[in-house]
Amino acid sequence: MSARHILLVDDEDDIREIATISLEAVGGWRVSSASSGTEAIVKAIAGRPDAILLDVMMPDIDGPTTFKRLQDDPQTRDIPVIFLTAKAHTADRERLEQTGVAGMLTKPFDPMTLSAQVTAILTADAQGE
Amino acid sequence: MPVPRDAAESATAVMTSVPAAVQAIFQRSRGELSRRVGTLEEMVAAIVEGGLDESLRASAERDAHKLAGSLGMFGLPLGSELARDLEHALAVPGGPAMAEAPRLAELVLMLRSQLDEAPSPTQDDAHAGPPQSDGRALLVVSVDSVLAGQLCVEALRRHLRPRRAASAAAARAFVAVEAPDAVVLDLDLAEADGEGLELLTDLAGGEPPVPVVVLASSDALVDRVEVVRRGGRGFIQRTQSVGHVIEAVTETMERRDRVKPRLLVVDDDPAILQALVALLTPLGLEVTTLADPQRFWEQLVAIAPDLLVLDLDMPDLDGIDLCRAVRADVRFGQLAVLFLTAVGDPLDVQRIFEAGADDYVNKPIVGPALVTRIQNRLERVRLYRELAEHDSLTGVGSRRASTAALERLIAMAARFDQPLSIALINLDHFNAFNDRLGHAAGDDALRRLGSMLTAAFRGEDVIGRWSGQEFALGTYGMTRDDGMQRVAELLESFRAEQFSGRDGRHAQMSFSAGVAEFPRDGQNLHDLYTAADEALHRAKAEGRDRVVAACSPLDATAQQPHVVVVEDDAVLASLLVESLETRGHRTHWVNDGQDAVAALAGAHPLVVCDLIVLDVDLPGLDGLSVLRRLAEDGVLRHTRVIVLTARAGEREVLEALELGAYDHVAKPFSVPVLMQRVRLAMTR
Repeated sequence: MSARHILLVDDEDDIREIATISLEAVGGWRVSSASSGTEAIVKAIAGRPDAILLDVMMPDIDGPTTFKRLQDDPQTRDIPVIFLTAKAHTADRERLEQTGVAGMLTKPFDPMTLSAQVTAILTADAQGE
Repeated sequence: MPVPRDAAESATAVMTSVPAAVQAIFQRSRGELSRRVGTLEEMVAAIVEGGLDESLRASAERDAHKLAGSLGMFGLPLGSELARDLEHALAVPGGPAMAEAPRLAELVLMLRSQLDEAPSPTQDDAHAGPPQSDGRALLVVSVDSVLAGQLCVEALRRHLRPRRAASAAAARAFVAVEAPDAVVLDLDLAEADGEGLELLTDLAGGEPPVPVVVLASSDALVDRVEVVRRGGRGFIQRTQSVGHVIEAVTETMERRDRVKPRLLVVDDDPAILQALVALLTPLGLEVTTLADPQRFWEQLVAIAPDLLVLDLDMPDLDGIDLCRAVRADVRFGQLAVLFLTAVGDPLDVQRIFEAGADDYVNKPIVGPALVTRIQNRLERVRLYRELAEHDSLTGVGSRRASTAALERLIAMAARFDQPLSIALINLDHFNAFNDRLGHAAGDDALRRLGSMLTAAFRGEDVIGRWSGQEFALGTYGMTRDDGMQRVAELLESFRAEQFSGRDGRHAQMSFSAGVAEFPRDGQNLHDLYTAADEALHRAKAEGRDRVVAACSPLDATAQQPHVVVVEDDAVLASLLVESLETRGHRTHWVNDGQDAVAALAGAHPLVVCDLIVLDVDLPGLDGLSVLRRLAEDGVLRHTRVIVLTARAGEREVLEALELGAYDHVAKPFSVPVLMQRVRLAMTR
């Protein structure tokens, strides 16, 4: 079985780098990354990842907008998206959850368990459908 | 399914390579992280100068947000928390107010030190991964983010793994995810009253119970008695240094760890050792394994186990040799020894018992059988020890054991700058009681007092039977007033007990008690005992059946506090007088308003007292008029008044308070509540 493919979107270099190492080394994912929403949309259409880990707060177009565009495009509509957010407020989280994402992960994350959390969300999401 | 070897190896590689990579990235990103903290420092400076403009506010908020999202990933969870607090403070339109500047400055300062103090590769092995990964978890519950932050920093310094919760609800959520090893609970939660205390009850009484150290302001209404009643392990004033608080927490955790039964297992087969550790550690046992019998003696002395598990067949020194050696040493004559044998060969079994073993279990080890045998053995060990250290009739500590425990408690109180109260409790007319009802009834009274003491006091408290009819009680973290309150409550329930003796006679019993406080009444056990004993004698002399405080040179008056009860209802008055006298107060009862004024007011009052309990509804002159006269004559300047009001009398209450009453209690009231108010009114 070939490794599952995840697209990681974050404008910050260090977070992208650590998440990549963590997902590859701990979880055995194949990881490609993007540093902006626009780049993410292009790479999602071209690479057809199995899942997308998407930062919420980004300059240019932010996470929720990127997610909306991915949803609007039949080519990327079915790819499960997980938001990565540093927002701790319940109200913010609820608003994000209502967008219809597969799940949410909080920053800062633990590099040793990030992959397990992603897998757990994707499994729950697949069962829910 | 067994894990394939290469998978296991690569898992190990991941365990070390990922943290190493994270460290490397952290070292590279330090400059950028530091620049972000710099923006926050600029922001604080701008607020202080009164000129935080929108663009600086926005970039500070953004940088705080980024720091919150990344520091935890680098093993700096506190850094993330601090940054998040800053982010929230900055999210306010127009930016934080000037008044917030000191708090923000503190947060930024701590954030900077978090970043500076993070290990750099030259100081620390890069393979060590994120720091504080294996320390014990400490949950700090406080709405005061500065204090909580300081406590977390201090905890990190001592290799604990701190977590923060700013509300009782957040604390519960934390505990549900990971049970902490200890909790620091700041009771000044800005939430509904009682929220913190409820949390305390749940944590301390939970399964497993979590040791909780409580922080409270010195003038907080919640007192030590309440905290201890709910299972708190320590009570520290908020003015104490954070170092002090964390030290007390560490001490509490260590004390809990010491209670774990210790096992030493000797077997040359590493697989057996591993299996035993896996089997026994979850049962709360501390298991030390030893594969090399040559190092047996040094390990035995170092660990001083409660139970020794020996393999029968080992090369060089076998279990029998070790067991004989253990039994030959007086220090370990009582140590329980359990053997692991290959098969139930009757000859082996005989050799084992001849060598002095207590029990044996056959290999291959069957989990439940071994666990049962080990638990039986440990139970027996506990029982023997209790017999030696406990008084067989009452179940409380023996004089020898409790003396040693009290000495330890005093040393601990001295170290942590905590009060400690020592009470001597002596049964009243015990010999006459024995003569009248028989010695069996006397024993019954002692036994019952012993079990009531054990039920009412626990944890850190020390209870011992010191002579035929005398008990000593040490309560850590309690002042003399606190101690008196609790002993008085015990007296109230003890006095209600019925004892039956020969010829079907029944009788009740009471005790007298003297209470002293460390350090004000004495610096060591001898002086404290003398002070408490002196108070006990006064309690006896004043008519027994009461609790009296020691009087130290520090106390202004050598007399017990004097309370005047102004109440026309004789039944209620006698109830109050009795409760007050139980607590060592001298009392004076007046049943008429006019008489009260005559006794208490005027230039040279007939009765001078510390506190007046005044009913509003009185014959002669009503309570409010009495109060007015007392105010006019200046009595209220040195005497506090608690007014007893009718239930619906809001106007009465307001008027009483305006006239200068200290407190009010509505009728009908519960006596313990009133006594609590009396205590508060007495503490200056």
